[in-house]
Amino acid sequence: MADSIKDKIKYGLLKGIDVSGFKVLDPPVRLAFGEEPRKQVGDIAKYMILPILFVLACLGIWTVMGPNHKTKSGEVPTPAKVWTAYEDNARFDERQQEKAADFIVEGAEREAVLTATTEELARLEAEAATLAEASDAVAATAKEETEALLAPLRARLDALKAEHEAAEDRREAEMNALAAEIVAGQAQPSALVDLVRENEILEDEANDAEDVIETQIKDILSDPPAEVKAAQMAANRVADEVQHYKKRIDILTKENRNVKEAEYLAKAEEDRAQLVAAEDPKKAVREAKSIARNAERAEDSKTQTYPRTATIFWQTKRSLATVFVGFGLAAALAIPLGIMCGLNRIFMACLTPIISIFRPVSPVVWLLIFQIIIGAFFPDPEKHPLFVTLNDEKWFGWIGNPLAFLQTNPAMIFSACTVAMCALWPALVNTALGVSSIDKDHMNVAKVLRLGFWSRLFKIIIPSSLPLVFAGLRISLGVGWMVLIAAEALSSSDGLGKFVWDEYQNGSSQSFANIILACFVVGIIGFFLDRIMIFLQRLVSFDDGSATA
Amino acid sequence: MSFLELDRVSVGFGPAGNRTEVLSDINLSVEENEFVAVIGFSGGGKSTLMNLLSGLLPPSSGEVRMAGNKVREPGPDRGLMFQNYSLLPWLSVEENVALAVKSAFPKLSKSEVTDKVKHFVKMVKLDHAGDRKPHELSGGMRQRASLARTLSLDPKVLLLDEPLSALDALTRSELQDQILNIWETDRRTVVMITNDVDEAVLMADRIIPLTMGPAATLAEEFVVNMARPRDRHTLNDHPEYMRLKSEITRFMMHLNKESKELGTTKVVPMPDIRPKDFSPPSIGPRFSHKSKQPTSAA
Repeated sequence: MADSIKDKIKYGLLKGIDVSGFKVLDPPVRLAFGEEPRKQVGDIAKYMILPILFVLACLGIWTVMGPNHKTKSGEVPTPAKVWTAYEDNARFDERQQEKAADFIVEGAEREAVLTATTEELARLEAEAATLAEASDAVAATAKEETEALLAPLRARLDALKAEHEAAEDRREAEMNALAAEIVAGQAQPSALVDLVRENEILEDEANDAEDVIETQIKDILSDPPAEVKAAQMAANRVADEVQHYKKRIDILTKENRNVKEAEYLAKAEEDRAQLVAAEDPKKAVREAKSIARNAERAEDSKTQTYPRTATIFWQTKRSLATVFVGFGLAAALAIPLGIMCGLNRIFMACLTPIISIFRPVSPVVWLLIFQIIIGAFFPDPEKHPLFVTLNDEKWFGWIGNPLAFLQTNPAMIFSACTVAMCALWPALVNTALGVSSIDKDHMNVAKVLRLGFWSRLFKIIIPSSLPLVFAGLRISLGVGWMVLIAAEALSSSDGLGKFVWDEYQNGSSQSFANIILACFVVGIIGFFLDRIMIFLQRLVSFDDGSATA
Repeated sequence: MSFLELDRVSVGFGPAGNRTEVLSDINLSVEENEFVAVIGFSGGGKSTLMNLLSGLLPPSSGEVRMAGNKVREPGPDRGLMFQNYSLLPWLSVEENVALAVKSAFPKLSKSEVTDKVKHFVKMVKLDHAGDRKPHELSGGMRQRASLARTLSLDPKVLLLDEPLSALDALTRSELQDQILNIWETDRRTVVMITNDVDEAVLMADRIIPLTMGPAATLAEEFVVNMARPRDRHTLNDHPEYMRLKSEITRFMMHLNKESKELGTTKVVPMPDIRPKDFSPPSIGPRFSHKSKQPTSAA
C-alpha cells in the first residue's frame, strides 16, 4: 500500500518534470526513490554535474579575462562585480520602498517609525564616525607608506629635471654663440639649423624620461592600497546609510502627505481666525482666498504618492506587463486570422502578400510608425481617459487599482504595439498551418456527424490545431520579448530596455556592471517565459507531445 | 424497391482526356436488414465505394439512393465506421461517443446523453476504459470505440470500411463475434468491405466481389445460405462454408490473374531457390497435423 502511494508520488513528480520540460531533474528524483542508483548517479554526473562545471569554467574564464580588457567605461566587470551591482540595485529598491512607505504612513504608526528611524540614525552616525576615523587612520598610515615609496621617485625626478634644465641652458648658450658667429659671417647658417634640430630631439627625450617617472608617481597616487579602499568603502557604505536615514526622517517629519495635510489644515484654521477678526474688507477677501487655497492643497496632498525613481525591479515588472499586453494583442489578432486563413484558401491568398511584405520589417520601423500613428490619438496623454483610468490610485474611489504602479504612458503603448506587430506573424502562420493541415479523417468524421460550422470549429478544428497554435505562440512570445527590449531602449519607454540605455548613457563606474546585470535579467526572464509556453504546449498536445516535440 | 441502391454509378478523377476511372458502372441493391460484404483487393476502389455510399463522395455519374431518396451528403442515418478508427485524439472514448450522440440526437438532455454513451460504451465492452484517450488504447479497443461511436448514431445502415483489417487475428475474431452479436440482437442493414474471405463468409448474407481496378465494377454475387447464428468453431466442417470459401477464393485468384494479364506490368521470373533447412534434428514427437493445416486451408 505504502509502496503504491510512493510510486504514485514518484510518477506524478516525473510526469510534472516531463511536462514542464526540466528533464534534467529526472535522475535525482529517480535516485531519491531508489531506482537503479548506479545509473542515476551516472546520469547526474553526465547531465547535471558536467554542465554545472562547464558553466563554472565559463565564469572562471570571464573572471580572468574581463579585467584585462580596458574600455572607455572602465574594465569589463567580473561576475563578482555584477553580483555587487545586483546587491546595490536591490538595496536601492528597498530604500525606495521604505521612502514610499514613509511618505504615506500616518498617526501613531508614523511616530513609531520616526522613533525607530531616529534611533537607527543615531546608531549609524556613531558607526559612521568610528568607521570614518578608522578609514582616516588607515589612509594616514598608507599615506606615510606611499610617501616613503614616492620620496626616492620624487628625488630622482627633481634631479632629472635639474639636469635637463642645465643641459638645456648649455645648449641655448651654444646656439646663441653660433648665431653670433653666423651674424659675424664666420659660420655656415645650416650648422645652426642642425643645432636647433638636435636641441629639439634632446628636449623631447628629456621630457619622455621625466614622463616615465611622473606616470609612476601618478599610478601610485591613483591606486591606493587595498586596505585603504576597503576601509573607505565600508565608511562610504555606512555614510550612505546615514544619508538614507536622514532623508527618511526628513520625509517622516516634513514631506509625509499626512503631515502636509495637517499643516495646510492648520494654516486654513489660522486664516479662518484672522478672517473672523478681520476689520478691513480687502484683508477678509485675502484671508478667504488663502483658506480656499490651503483647503485645496490639503485635499491634494491626501492622495499624493512618493515620486519613486525607477529601479531595475520596477523596470522588469513594467517590461513584463508591456510584453504581455503586446503578446495578448498579437494572439488576439493572430489566432482568429490564422483560423480564417486555414479554413479559406481565398482569404489566405488575400493575406499572403500582406504577411510576406510586413513580416520582415524591422521592429525599429514599426516603433516609429506607431509613435506617429498612435501618438495622434493621445495629444494630451496626462488627461486622456485611458491613462487617467489606468494610473488612478483607486478605482471608483475605493477599489485599489493593481495597475497603478505601472505608470502607463503612451510610450508603453507604442512598445506594446511594436511587440504585437512583430509577434503577430509566427502565431498567425502557425495557426493557419495547424488549421489547414487537419487530418482529413477528422473532417470526414465531422461530415458524417453533420456537425454545424461552430461545433466543427470548436470540437474539431481548434482542438486539433492547438498544438501548432501554441508552438506559434511560443515563438511569438520569444520574438516579442526580444523586440521589446530594443523598442524600450529606442522609445524611452520605462522597462529593462530603457534601464540598459540609461546606464549606457550615464556612464557611472557601475554602469557596465548594471548593463551586464540587465543582460542576465532579460535572459533569465526570457527563459522562464519560454518554459511557460512549453508547459502550455505540452498541456494541449493530445498524443504525448510527439506532435510538437 | 431495395433499401440502399447504387444505380449505374461511376467515379473518376482527373480532367477529361487524362481521366482515371476508379469505379465504373456499379449496380448494387441492398435489402433492409441484410448483411452484405463487398470483397476486393487492396487499392481496388473499395474505400471509394464506401465514400459513395456514405455520401462523402458524389458520383461522377449515376445515382446513390437510400430508401428511394437520392443521397447528397453524409448523415447519421448511414453510420460509417472508418478503416483507421478516426477517433478524435483529444477526446476520451466517452467524449468521442458523446459527440456523436449529441449530433444525432440534439434534443436529449445531459443525463440522457450520458446514459446513452454509457450504454454503447458498455455494449462494446469498453466501460473500464471510458475515460481514456485514444492513444492510450490498443488497436482493438480503438476499433471498438469507433464501433460504439457509429452505433450510437442509431444508423439505419452500418457502413463498415475494412473495420478489422488492421487488427491481429485473435482480436479480429473477437470483434467479428461482437459485431455479429450486436447485429443479430438489433437487426439493421450492414454493408461491410473486407479483404478476408473467411470473414465475409462468416458474417455476410451475400458476398459481392469487386473486380480489379482501374474501372472496377461489381462481379456476380455469392449468396451465403447458412443458418445463423454461425459458430466459427463448427463452421470449418460445414460443406457449404468450404464450398463458398474455395469458390470465392478461386474467383478472386482468377480476377487477379486476369488483371495481371491485362496489365502491362512485366512479371520477372523468380529464381527457383529453396531455403536451406537449418532446423535442428527434432527430438521427441512431431506435431505433424500442425504443418498440414495450411494445405487444407488452401
